[in-house]
Amino acid sequence: MNDPIKPEDFDAVIHERVRLSIVAALAVSPQLSFAELKSMLGLTDGNLSAHARTLDEAGYIVIEKTFRGRKPYTEMRLTAKGRRAFERYLATLRQIVDRGA
Amino acid sequence: MNASEAQTRMLEIQRIMERATLFTLLPGVPAIVGGLMVLAGCGVSYAMLRSLDFGDLLYVSAAQQVWFCVMWLAIGAAGVVLEVAYTGWAAARQHLQPDNRAIRVAAFSLTPCVAVAVVLTAKFLLPINAQVWQMFWTWNFNVPLMPKAEEIQYIVPIWMMLYGTGVYTAGLFSIRPPRVLGLTFLAAGILALLCFPQYGVVAAALSFGLLHLVFGLYIVHKQRQMVI
Repeated sequence: MNDPIKPEDFDAVIHERVRLSIVAALAVSPQLSFAELKSMLGLTDGNLSAHARTLDEAGYIVIEKTFRGRKPYTEMRLTAKGRRAFERYLATLRQIVDRGA
Repeated sequence: MNASEAQTRMLEIQRIMERATLFTLLPGVPAIVGGLMVLAGCGVSYAMLRSLDFGDLLYVSAAQQVWFCVMWLAIGAAGVVLEVAYTGWAAARQHLQPDNRAIRVAAFSLTPCVAVAVVLTAKFLLPINAQVWQMFWTWNFNVPLMPKAEEIQYIVPIWMMLYGTGVYTAGLFSIRPPRVLGLTFLAAGILALLCFPQYGVVAAALSFGLLHLVFGLYIVHKQRQMVI
């Protein structure tokens, strides 16, 4: 019989809905700017900043801050570690769905 | 988390990925190739018409008129084939279905605009009116069709505006670059229609040629930076 899936089987960093959305968007894009992610996911500046920082600290995304003219420009991209975590998370979700079917 | 919650979460993830997917499926290479083809087409058109005004098509020989139309039709068809083939290839590379929702949204946004542009082009090139249907009805094709130079001048600005509208709409559900491209086409089309309709060759070269080239190079550059 299959082992039951426990809450600790989920990666706490990307289990949170907003962080999962950020990782999902970055999983299929080369990189996205702060403004693009904000408008795509319908987030506020503060919300996106806070969650992006958590993902950055976990090593799941890279945040690059540059300047375009005089304006600050922030871009984010997924790291290989982040991609693996995302794939593991999806596999866990699939497992739950399959068992419930 | 139960199966139903997991299913809901997977659907949410799928929706977000579909929105973001449009970026990786953006046809960078076809835009570059298409842009180069249009630039070449504009060069040939200028050599053929000896003018920057597409309205001067009326003053070249019938054979040249046919060649001119065939050339632009071929460029348009090649552009569509390239784009469809590239999108299919890019989708397959990412293990996405070719009828992915993101692709369908883009296709459904562009198709009506392109269809309207085709109808207006046909209307301006072959002034279709009751007389034309009469020709078919009576099977008498000796009635001359009289296109007007000023109507032919409208073809390029109309294509620019409608194509711009389609690209902008397709980009509404994705990220900024296609929206910027669409709005630029729209603004340039309005300017070309209201201020410079007599410079259609230049307008086509700058928009469908140069703008596509710049957009394609930008997309290819961005896509190469993708982390796999």
